[in-house]
Amino acid sequence: MTDPTRFSRRSFVHPRLVQHGAIFRNIGQVSVADTFPGRNGLATRLALIDLSPMPRLGLKGGGALDALREAGIPVPPINNMARRLSDGALIARLANTEALILPDIELIGDTIGLVEAVPIVSGCYPAPRRDSHAWFVLCGTKAVACLQKLCGVDLSPQEFADLRIAQTSVARLSTILIREDRADIPAFHLLADSASALYFWDVLCDAMDEYFGAPTGHAALCELNTRPPVKPAG
Amino acid sequence: MTGDRLNPPYGILLDRAKPVRFSFEGGNYSGFIGDTIASALAANDVWLISRSFKYHRPRGILSMTGDDGNCLVQIGPEPNVPADRRPISHGLRVTGQHYKGSLRRDRSKWIEWFARFLPVGFYYHAFFKPRGAWDFWEKRIRAAAGLGHIGQVARKNTFDKNYAFADVAVVGGGGAGVAAAIAAARAGGRVILIERQPLLGGSLNHARFDAAGRRGVETAKALAEEMEALDDKITVMSDAVCTGLFADNFLAVTSGERLTKLRAESVVLATGLIEQPAVFANNDLPGVMLGSAAQKLLWLYAVRPGRRAVVIASNSDGYGVALDLDDAGIAVEAVVDLRYTIAGDSLIREALDRGIRIIHGYAIERAVPNTGGSHVAGLDLRLRPGQDSGPPETRRLDCDLICVSIGWAPAAALVAQAGGEVVYDDTRSAFKIAAAPDGIVTAGAVRGEWDLDAAIADGRRAGKHAMAGGHKDSAVEDPAVTPESNPWPIFDSDKGKAFIDFDEDLTPQDIEHSVAEGFDDIELVKRYSTVGMGPSQGRYSATNAVRLTRILTNEPLSGAKGWTNRPPTVPEKFGLLAGRRFEPRRLTPMHHHHEAAGAGMMVAGDWLRPVCYGADENAAVQQEVTAVRQNVGMIDVSTLGGLDIRGPDAAEFLNRMYTSAYSTQPVGRGRYALMCDVSGTIIDDGVACRFADDHFYVTTTTGGSDTVFRSMLWWNAQWRLDIDTTNVTGAFASVNIAGPRSRDLLAPLCPDIDLSPEAFPYMAVRQGDVANIPARILRVGFVGELGYEIHVPAGCGAALWERLTVAGHSFEMRPFGVEAQRVLRLEKGHIIVGQDTDGLTHPDEACMTWAISKRKPFFVGGRAVEMHRRRGVARILVGFTLPAATQILPEECHLVVRGQEIIGRVTSIARSITLGHPIGLAYVAPDQAEPGVEFTIKGPGGRLIRATVSALPFYDPQNRRQSA
Repeated sequence: MTDPTRFSRRSFVHPRLVQHGAIFRNIGQVSVADTFPGRNGLATRLALIDLSPMPRLGLKGGGALDALREAGIPVPPINNMARRLSDGALIARLANTEALILPDIELIGDTIGLVEAVPIVSGCYPAPRRDSHAWFVLCGTKAVACLQKLCGVDLSPQEFADLRIAQTSVARLSTILIREDRADIPAFHLLADSASALYFWDVLCDAMDEYFGAPTGHAALCELNTRPPVKPAG
Repeated sequence: MTGDRLNPPYGILLDRAKPVRFSFEGGNYSGFIGDTIASALAANDVWLISRSFKYHRPRGILSMTGDDGNCLVQIGPEPNVPADRRPISHGLRVTGQHYKGSLRRDRSKWIEWFARFLPVGFYYHAFFKPRGAWDFWEKRIRAAAGLGHIGQVARKNTFDKNYAFADVAVVGGGGAGVAAAIAAARAGGRVILIERQPLLGGSLNHARFDAAGRRGVETAKALAEEMEALDDKITVMSDAVCTGLFADNFLAVTSGERLTKLRAESVVLATGLIEQPAVFANNDLPGVMLGSAAQKLLWLYAVRPGRRAVVIASNSDGYGVALDLDDAGIAVEAVVDLRYTIAGDSLIREALDRGIRIIHGYAIERAVPNTGGSHVAGLDLRLRPGQDSGPPETRRLDCDLICVSIGWAPAAALVAQAGGEVVYDDTRSAFKIAAAPDGIVTAGAVRGEWDLDAAIADGRRAGKHAMAGGHKDSAVEDPAVTPESNPWPIFDSDKGKAFIDFDEDLTPQDIEHSVAEGFDDIELVKRYSTVGMGPSQGRYSATNAVRLTRILTNEPLSGAKGWTNRPPTVPEKFGLLAGRRFEPRRLTPMHHHHEAAGAGMMVAGDWLRPVCYGADENAAVQQEVTAVRQNVGMIDVSTLGGLDIRGPDAAEFLNRMYTSAYSTQPVGRGRYALMCDVSGTIIDDGVACRFADDHFYVTTTTGGSDTVFRSMLWWNAQWRLDIDTTNVTGAFASVNIAGPRSRDLLAPLCPDIDLSPEAFPYMAVRQGDVANIPARILRVGFVGELGYEIHVPAGCGAALWERLTVAGHSFEMRPFGVEAQRVLRLEKGHIIVGQDTDGLTHPDEACMTWAISKRKPFFVGGRAVEMHRRRGVARILVGFTLPAATQILPEECHLVVRGQEIIGRVTSIARSITLGHPIGLAYVAPDQAEPGVEFTIKGPGGRLIRATVSALPFYDPQNRRQSA
């Protein structure tokens, strides 16, 4: 177990993680809540994971998407679509002039480094998404039902398939909502105002309660990544 | 004892393994899980449940739907609970409502003796003469009005909302509705089926469709088996009510304490029928109920609705009721058939075969009350005119139960709400749905489809049609067999009151009086008489009220419309509409440190900010101000807005958005940024920091960042300058270190930044590491001391605060809050936009002409500022002082007066520890603006206070300290 306060960077919900009894682990230069006592089997049912300390980056401007292509990063063909990259990272095309890049959750890949190296020129500017937005993952077979208490977008798989993006309101917060199913288990990246992170976390925990969901650690998400596809339980 | 119950198969809603004890009006009773309050009381032979609204008449079960006002009870602080819908639970304490004394012996029943003085609308004609009469009567009428009482102590309840989506939403889980859901699911749709009861089936669960009484059960079973195979395609919401159908097929569905907002591509309304009462003297007595209510008591709750029954019938349903009563061992005294001609069918033939007496050719005279008037004891009939002589003129039938089965009305409220057309069809003697809007399909009995097989087939048709879009389909045929209803079930009698509206205690005479008063349209009759305005919302009164009104106004019945139908279809609690409270609150990354240090927090826009650190606010503020002036202090300013403007046209963009000039601003410098709107009014201020030729970082006020950002996007959508604007307010955490020792504290933490005054002068900006955290550093002086504002990535904000706190220990650094900052900036004469400016303040009034570039061709609001300048100012913002001994200070917004004239107002005021006397800012007349001039403030209690204009700033007028 490591002490996350030794790092300059802290999760936006650090007080809640401590309250829930999180056990932290260093991954590269960040410390994440890795496990919670007694909760690590929840990821298939309903779990909330905080990935806020992890790097991520936005690029904005008329030339942003071209700059990404030139850096060798395949950009989704239409807005509000995401794409999995070969190193496990995710590129989310938010608009004709904006993209968001989320790293692989084990921080092994080099996509973030590639994007950070994109030169800042007229029409292509970095956006500080690591600090402007908190990053949570809500996953599990009950994830859709839970989110439907907070969000008016139809998140059923028929209408909101894997890798779809909605930039919408969740519990009255402007949120970037990206579906990235893992082993056939529904999973949603939720990125919203970092200053409202504690409010958002508390609202999500409250909404999960009905379905016996709870905060879970980074390790559970990693484990979900390695599972073979299974038919989700009802 | 759980009451006298029939054995299974009766009581399909009961769990007989789970008895429940509850109380009603202080008496203890038992029932089962699955019972409603009314059914459990009925099982215990308790039939008196409530008192009526106007005349305090005894009332009991009428419909067993929860939609009438005859069964309203009080549970704790919750009034008007429908006893025929609310389930019992262990320990439930129920009382009646709207009585004086006891439910059984209501002392207010004397009101009925004065009924002739209380006709419909009496309150429009009485109680306001002579002068003062209304003052006397109003409180008495208010005390007598209303039903139940609301608990004054609000208890926290958990209401919730969610969203749901479907290809087809089916409202009504009876036979037609289930068939529609099955058909839609088989056609590939996502279906949500909404049913009000705890189980599907609707009338299949209690009505009798055939002589043997088996068809309902068998049909329900067959449909259930079909449903099971489609389990994953059909979501059933039982115990759920659709309370409103809004535009674009948006449905509000309530279930328990949750409101579901359901959006459907198409909607099937299979909401069925509402059985209608007959209007005859004493038709409101306990023991007089609708035939379907009696069947529900039998089949759903295993309760005998009486021991000796008379069925009043105008269709074969009444015979079904009679057969059900007979099967349950209840003596059927007679079926009184009101029809002039009776067509034989299987139910009538079965009744005849069983020897059930059928009486024909009689009208209803009255229901006979028992001694005490609390229950029905018989039914009086009178021979109709024109009948053969022979039968007796009058007859009395002894009974303790009268079941009324004289007709139906479609449950068409949702169709009407959605814009469909519902009109009276005198071939059916009932309302019918003439047209439904696109996307809404009606099915089954609500559409008039009466035959069971035809209704199920109609449901299947509707489900498929809904999946195909639910467009208006003129090819749909009218039903071959429609429900039979009595065309005029209203019986005159002088033997007692006959109620046309039970909720409002209205009789046909009240409708006649309304029309006689000139209210000749049903909408006007409704409002004048209040017919249909009670809990049942006209379900049991609208049809007869429309009939009566049309006859009285000599208008044809055919094509008549009822009154406008509006949501909700059933009462909704405000809590359901409110749902959970989502109130986003923004906290800085250092928030937990402020709380741990004992800070009181205040709301600033969306944020929470520390007021001061300490329980005694006055003492804490003074200490914090002193710390900043004499030593060093630290304040969390993360809430200030931050915008990154990048691109080749960044400087030009700022030139246009703000009043100062930015094209020539050197890299590494900050400049005050004042923003006006197009009317020249000051709307925000901040500092524009140039980090590169094409990169400005602009701060805004805490509450202004979103407005400024939106304004920038809006303007550049027109100008199309080559820039990018990014709102980075939440991306940075910021701390201001201020005080004469701030440089000493900071220097060791910034090894790669030269903080000397030569290298880092006042209003310079730099980038580098502070305490090993990458930072933007601004040398600004809001509080008038040497100070550095440090902006770091938000994720590092807590770490920065901790490391500065550790470094500050040896300097005895204090954190300071918003209140100390207000005093400090006031001492320095700095304005707060929104406090010292209002919706009209332009730069000249605020003495800020120094912030306006004279060489720029354009900035937003520039033209208006120029126009204001030419017009001259009517008021000027000045600093003022009060004598040190002043005990009672004026407050912000207290007026500046000259005689009787209002000149301006105080905008800021504080006792300055630093200066030793009160200081403030105020708007005064231009001729009062010179330092030394005295003016008058109208302070607390109207006290006049003399103030003296002072030059600004009050503190360090040479600016030596902030430029150190």
